[in-house]
Amino acid sequence: MENKEVPGTERSLEWNARKMTLLALVLLLALLPAEAVRSRHPPKASISSPVFGPRQVHGVVGGSVTVRCFYPPTPMNKHDRKYFCKMLGSICDTVVTTSFVKPQYQGKVSLTDHPDAESFQVNISALVPDDAGTFQCGIGVNGRGLSHQVILSVAEAPPVPEPAELFYVKLRSTWTVSCSFGPETSNWRRYLCKKEKDGCRNIADSHQNIDQDFTGRVLLTFEGSPGSFSVTMTQMDWGDTGLYYCGAGEYGKDGKSKELDVFVHEDKNFPQLKTMVIGKNGSSATFECLYEPLQRSSSRIWCKWRPQGCEKIIDNAGYVSPKYLGRVAMFENQANKTLTIMLNQLRPKDQGYYWCMSNELKEQQSSTELKVVEGEPSLKVENTVQAQVGSKVELTCFYPCKYYSFDKYWCKWNETGCSKVPAGEQRPAGPEATCSTSNRTMVLSFDPVTEQDEGWYWCGVKRNGIFGESVAVELQVTTGSDAKHSPELLDIDSSSESGAVPPGGAYNDAEVRKGAAPESSDESHGSNTLALVLGPLAGLILIAVTAFAIFKYRQLKRSDLVSVGSYRTNISMSDFESARDYSASNNGYSVRDSLESPAGGDEFITTSGTAESAIDAKKVKRVRGGRRGATDPGDVATAPQSLPGGLPPSTVLFIPRDPPFSWLSPGVGI
Amino acid sequence: MRSSLLLCVTLAVSLGIIHVAGYPVDLKDEEYVLVNNKCQCVTVTSKFVPSKENPDEEVLTRNIRIIVPLKARENISDPLSPPRTTFVYRMSELCKNCESVELDLGGAIVQAQQGNSCEEPQTCYTYDRNQCYTSPVPLLHHGEVTHVQAALTPDSCFAE
Repeated sequence: MENKEVPGTERSLEWNARKMTLLALVLLLALLPAEAVRSRHPPKASISSPVFGPRQVHGVVGGSVTVRCFYPPTPMNKHDRKYFCKMLGSICDTVVTTSFVKPQYQGKVSLTDHPDAESFQVNISALVPDDAGTFQCGIGVNGRGLSHQVILSVAEAPPVPEPAELFYVKLRSTWTVSCSFGPETSNWRRYLCKKEKDGCRNIADSHQNIDQDFTGRVLLTFEGSPGSFSVTMTQMDWGDTGLYYCGAGEYGKDGKSKELDVFVHEDKNFPQLKTMVIGKNGSSATFECLYEPLQRSSSRIWCKWRPQGCEKIIDNAGYVSPKYLGRVAMFENQANKTLTIMLNQLRPKDQGYYWCMSNELKEQQSSTELKVVEGEPSLKVENTVQAQVGSKVELTCFYPCKYYSFDKYWCKWNETGCSKVPAGEQRPAGPEATCSTSNRTMVLSFDPVTEQDEGWYWCGVKRNGIFGESVAVELQVTTGSDAKHSPELLDIDSSSESGAVPPGGAYNDAEVRKGAAPESSDESHGSNTLALVLGPLAGLILIAVTAFAIFKYRQLKRSDLVSVGSYRTNISMSDFESARDYSASNNGYSVRDSLESPAGGDEFITTSGTAESAIDAKKVKRVRGGRRGATDPGDVATAPQSLPGGLPPSTVLFIPRDPPFSWLSPGVGI
Repeated sequence: MRSSLLLCVTLAVSLGIIHVAGYPVDLKDEEYVLVNNKCQCVTVTSKFVPSKENPDEEVLTRNIRIIVPLKARENISDPLSPPRTTFVYRMSELCKNCESVELDLGGAIVQAQQGNSCEEPQTCYTYDRNQCYTSPVPLLHHGEVTHVQAALTPDSCFAE
């Protein structure tokens, strides 16, 4: 059976491998089309009416209601006629406009426009049941479609349902909502869910469950006061329009919740920021954040998204996370109203979502996805350079032809940015010089180098004020007395992943460990294929083990005949004779005694107890390189392994009386 | 044997995922905008609907909405031109995408556009609400004739 198994497993292994690759290819193809469909055409919502307002308004008899309608703040809309009309059949009968009030509503209804707030407001007071009905608030001419339908209901007495909070969000911008439910809910689960046809789809909650489609896009943070939290969602798209619920507890069951009505509209003046940045391994990536120079005192934080919160990397107050020393810098560009953040020395674990956050300017927050792809940086530079104090050091940066016309620079990194360092001027190329013939290096020289020159230096390219690629060099300056320590430094450098200063080495290890955890969660796809590989592999191992066991069992049976003649003991035949006489009559106890008496040794395990243990003891003693199965003590011819007392050694043949003795081969046993 | 069966099952499941992944499940009833031409006042949207012959099958339908401005002039920027009587709508022209997109080709950023003949402006039949249309008008002032730009759509011509 074993012979058949071995080539069979080989064949099945090969077939498994082929299936594995096919499966991997198939799964890859599955992922590709999904992305393409989503981004090709906008949904119909993008061309339907951009006017937004409440769906339902509830009033009480004698009370008043306010209807707030939002519209895109284009110059045209700001100056256009705003109206509020009541639907009568198919015609919308005007009730109030920016310059007119219907006589029977005089003193009861008023319309005020707030163009800066992108909305206008309609107040209806002294409600009567007849006021209920379907209304439309809109811009321009009645019935032309630039309107929103509102249903007004008038109840006899309170209570009335709490109205939903309205959010008029610009396309591609960030939506922030604050919800508070009182301090008694501070231990409850907080959540934000989106209303769908069947129930409410959980988007984010305080137990770090984030919906797959919203990975990297949504953050749930706890506010100062207990029981209150805020949710931030970036890159708002057309499909994000709808009803949401933020709450404590569980939606639909016990708990508190608040209704949120979100509407996404397009504002052509809203800047288009990149949603994804691709960087090559070892190279750099630039991220842009919105920046309003008027609010210079506002805080700007750049952080990496994690389900449990955003991990701070750098901010405009001079803080840089210890793991990112020498790797990240902020650049302000007041003309373009942007803040550029450059991250170099990219590694695969840098992949993820990065957020620009601000404590004061919540609407200007944004998020970008970073993908790190295989490749080499185009700028070549040494990772670490060591030099002695007072010596001459040259940091050389090699650039390819594609950067020939770019502005190249060297800058020294510190926590507040990277300040330009005047580097040696490149020889101006003559008219005949082409890229391949010119010397494509940029050299930064220190003559002599001092201790203050220690740190990170960035070699980068820039064009038209836009930052391009950059690479970093770490310059380590050693004084004469530190020469002994430098080998240690070198060792740490070579063991850590990037050329960081020794204290940073510890952080790097921590980073590796921390990086492993989210990576394992990201690699759920990888673990699927891993499980598929392990499954058949475990089966194969099981088959091999059983085959081996069967083989051994068979050998066991066969070895009965083989191994009889191969045992050596130090007993004489005379002892053997006496033992056999005794063993036939008694249970072996006396046998032991008889053998023991001349020896007087303590090699026997004195057993006081059951006969079973006596058998075990005998078993131990009986064998040299072999083991017996459970047998009747009466049938056994026993002999100790050795008898001190100087008995002459001799070769003894054990001839078992009964077949039940099954001997395993000498290799296996005691 | 067992392992091959497991693989077969996984293969079948993954093929099922492809079928679903091709269309975003939650947006299955969505209508998508293919054309939104303010110049000629045409919108084309597409949607999946159950086929009339076989309700189990879904068919892609295109809804074309055209509003014909019957009182328009031949040249909308010239109020003295004769009224327009012929309106031509060409799908190829309407579906042309003249928006330029920034692409990154091996480090160099280039502007690319899908449409071919994007230099010739499309003849417009009506006004875009968010655009200001003006026409030069001769004004006699102090014996001098000056041409002044007059707004054809004053509501759209507010500066801010």
